[in-house]
Amino acid sequence: MVTEIAEQYLKVIYNLTEDGGVAKTSDVAKAMSVAPASVTEMMHKLSRQGYVRHERYRGATLSPKGLKIARQVTRKHRLLERFLNDLCGIRGKSRHDQACRMEHVLTDEAERQLCRMLNRPSECPHGKQIPKCERGIACEKCTKETVSLVDLGEGDVGTVSHLASKDKEELCRILAMGFVPGSEVKVEKKVPMGGPIIVSLKGTKIALAREIGRALHMVRA
Amino acid sequence: MEIALAGNPNVGKSAIFSRLTGVGVISSNYPGTTVEFFEGKAKFMGSTITVIDLPGTYSLAGNTDDERVATNLLFERRPDTVVAVLDTTRLERNLVLLFELIESGYHVVASLNMYDEMRRSGRDVDVARLERILMVPAIPTVATKGEGIDSLLFTSVQLRGRSKFKVRYDSHIEEMVRKLSAMLKQEDWPMPLRAVSLRLLTGDRRVLEKADGAAVRASERMREEFLKEHGEDIVVHIERDRFGEAGRIATEVVGEAADRERKEGFISDLTLRPATGIPILIAVLAAVFLVLVFAGGALEGVLVGAYTDAARAPFDDFKAGLSSDLARGAAEGVYLSVEAMLALVIPYIVVFYIMLAVLEDTGYLVRVVSLLDGVMHRLGLHGRAVIPMVVGFGCNVPAILATRAMGSRRERLILATLITIAVPCSAQTAIIIGTVGNYAGAVWALAIYIILGAILVILGFAMHRTIKFEPTGLFVEIPDLRVPSPHEILRKTYLRVKEFLTIAFPLLLVGSIALEMLMAEGILQQLIGPSEGFMMAVLGLPGVVVVALIFGILRKEMALQMLMVLFGTSNLALHLSPEQMFTFALVMAVFMPCLAAFAVMLKEFGVRSTAVVTAGSIGLAMALGALSNLLLGL
Repeated sequence: MVTEIAEQYLKVIYNLTEDGGVAKTSDVAKAMSVAPASVTEMMHKLSRQGYVRHERYRGATLSPKGLKIARQVTRKHRLLERFLNDLCGIRGKSRHDQACRMEHVLTDEAERQLCRMLNRPSECPHGKQIPKCERGIACEKCTKETVSLVDLGEGDVGTVSHLASKDKEELCRILAMGFVPGSEVKVEKKVPMGGPIIVSLKGTKIALAREIGRALHMVRA
Repeated sequence: MEIALAGNPNVGKSAIFSRLTGVGVISSNYPGTTVEFFEGKAKFMGSTITVIDLPGTYSLAGNTDDERVATNLLFERRPDTVVAVLDTTRLERNLVLLFELIESGYHVVASLNMYDEMRRSGRDVDVARLERILMVPAIPTVATKGEGIDSLLFTSVQLRGRSKFKVRYDSHIEEMVRKLSAMLKQEDWPMPLRAVSLRLLTGDRRVLEKADGAAVRASERMREEFLKEHGEDIVVHIERDRFGEAGRIATEVVGEAADRERKEGFISDLTLRPATGIPILIAVLAAVFLVLVFAGGALEGVLVGAYTDAARAPFDDFKAGLSSDLARGAAEGVYLSVEAMLALVIPYIVVFYIMLAVLEDTGYLVRVVSLLDGVMHRLGLHGRAVIPMVVGFGCNVPAILATRAMGSRRERLILATLITIAVPCSAQTAIIIGTVGNYAGAVWALAIYIILGAILVILGFAMHRTIKFEPTGLFVEIPDLRVPSPHEILRKTYLRVKEFLTIAFPLLLVGSIALEMLMAEGILQQLIGPSEGFMMAVLGLPGVVVVALIFGILRKEMALQMLMVLFGTSNLALHLSPEQMFTFALVMAVFMPCLAAFAVMLKEFGVRSTAVVTAGSIGLAMALGALSNLLLGL
C-alpha cells in the first residue's frame, strides 16, 4: 500500500515526465509547493522502495512499478476533473484541488463506473491524455454490464461478452468448446455442493467447474 | 494407405472405426502420454488400409493431452485422408474442427454421422450444398447401424482431394497472416503457410519452436499489437470468426433450426438433480453389485463345474506322471490359474465390463461425474474419479489403469490409493459375503462397507490436505442419453478384457505356481505355528488365517477356499465365531493389494509410492483388525 503523499509525488513525477525526460527536484518542489529539501528526502525514500529511479543532480524517472501506480492515480485525477468540469460545472483551481483530494479515496470500481458514465473520455479538461485502464478489456465490452457465468441463476440466458482467463491453455480450451464472444449460453443447472454448472450452448449440454465459469463474463439477455 | 478418423468427443467416431475395421484392433498409448488411440485394418477392393482412430478433440491447437496426441499423430503419420466425423445434429460446433483440418491442408472427407437422429428430429441437411461450400465430399452415415460406411470408405480412398475452402478472418488478422506467410518458406513446412501463420499467431508451441527467429518475433509483436488495439487476445478473435463461419454455414444447409434446442429428456433431467440423481445412482450401483454377486456367482459355479469335469481327470493323470513334488506343485499351479481365470474373468470381469460399457455409452456416467464433482473435490478428486472407483469394485487392476483419465499425477495417486485400500474388488466382496454375509448376517456385511466408505472419506480428505494441490477443473460435454449399440459395447468389453488378461494372467500364473510349490514343500504350513501367538493376541484369529493372508497377496479370490481346506470343512462357523469372521473380512478388505494390482501400481507410480501405499494398507488392515478384535471382544 502506498501512502497518499507518495501517490501524490508519483503523480507529479508522471505529469512532469509524461512527454519524456526526467523530473527535476526543483520542478517537483514547485508543483507540490514544498521545499526542495523535503522533495530530495522523499525521492530517496521512493527510490529505496523501488518506485522511482533517482539520479543526483539530474532528477527522477518512474520505475515500472511506480509507473503503474502513477498512471492509475493520474487516470483517476483526470477522470475526476472531467467529472467536476462536465457534470458539476466547476472551473478554475478549485477543480484541480478537489480532484487532487478525491483521487486517493476513489475505488477502482468507482473509477470504472465513472469512465462509463462519462462515456470513456480520452482527455482531461486541460487537454492532457487520460491514461488507459489496464483491465485488458475492449472499451465497448466494458460499457456493458457483465456478470460472471457463476453469478447467473438457473434458467438464465446470457451472451458471452469476454473471457477473463489468464491461463492461455484454459482460454483456448474454453474457446474450443464454443464459448466465443457473442454465443448464447443458458444455465440449465447449478449442481449444489460446489458442483459444476451445467449450461447449454449451441445445442449441447456442457458441465463446467465453477472456477472455469468465473472466467466467462456474460451479458444478461 | 492410411486413413485417420478425427472428430469431437461423443460423435460416434469409435463406432465408425469399429465398423470400418472389425476385430484386429490394436490400442496403444501415445509415447510419453496416457492418451490412448486405436489402429486397425480395413479391406477395400483387395488392398489393406490402415485406419487410425485419433482421440476425440475440439480443436488442433494442442492445448490438452488429447489434442497434442491427435495433432502429433496427424503430423507424424501423414494420413492420406482424414475423415472428419461430425455429429450432424450439432453441425455448427462440429464444423470448426473440420475447418482446422482443411486449413492444415489434409485431404478431408466429412462423415455426417447420426444422420438418422437428424431425420428423426424432422430436419434435413442439404448435403450437396454443404459439399459445394466446403469443397469436400460429405457422406451421411449412421455408424450404429453401419449405414453409409461403405460409401465413406470408397470416398476416402477414391475421391479425396484438397479443399480450397477458407475461413475469412477479420481484416486485421488476414493482414497479419499475409505478412507472416511472406516471411516463411513453403518447403520448410508440411502444411500450408496460412495454417503455419495462424498457428504462430495463436502461439502454438510446436510451430514456434520450428519457425525461424524473425517470424517468431514478428508474430509475437503482432499478437501484442492486436491485444493492445482490440483489448482481447487474438485467439479469441480467431475462434470467434471460426464459430461465426460455422454458424452461417450450418444455417445455410440446415435452415434456421440448425441448433434449435432439443427437448430435454425427463430422465436426463432427473439424473442431474441431486435430490433424484443420488437415489438413482445408488440404485444403479446396487443393481451393478447385485448382478455381479448373483449372476456372476451363478456363472462361476457353472463354469468352474464344467472345467473341473472336463479337465480334472486328464490333469490328474498328467500329474501322476511327474516325478517330484515340486513339479506336481507347479502343474497344480497352472491348473488352478486357469480355473481362477475362469472363475474370475468371465463371470465377474466380463460381466462387469459389459455393464460399465453400457453405463458409459448411454451417457449416464458423465452425468454421475457432474453430479458428484463438487463432493469429490473435498476428497481432492474430481467427479471423473467416480469411474475408476466403480471399476475398482470389479477388479483393482483395470481401476488403477483407468486412473489415467485423471488430470494430474497427484489425483491419480490419491485415487489409486483409495481404490486399493478402500474399494473392495470382486474377490474381496466374495470374502466379505462368504464369511460375514453368510454367517453373521447382512447387517454386519453392510457394516464393513460402511467402515470402508468412512476410510475412503477420511483417507481422501487426509491425502487431499497433505499432497500439494494442482487444480484442474471439470469441463466436459454431456451427451444425450441414448440406447447404446451392442456392437460397440462388445468391442469395448473385448479390448478391456484383453488388456486385463495380458497384465493379470502372467502374474496370476507365477503367483499360483509359487504358492503351490510352497504348499508342496510344506513351507506355508510351517508359518502357521510361529504366527499363532501374534494372530491370536492382536487379531484374535487362529494361526491358520495367516495362510489366507498370504494367499490374499498372491491369489485373493482363493483365500476363502484355502481357509476351508485348512479347516477341513466348508462350514467356517465351526472354527470361527461371527466376531472373528468380521475381523477377518475387515482385514482382508483393507489388506494389501494382490500381486497383479501391486504390479500395475509399480508400473504406473514407481517404487516409492507403491511401497508407501502397500505398507500403509498392511498397517491400516492390522490396526483395524486389532481395533475390531478389541471392541467386539468386550
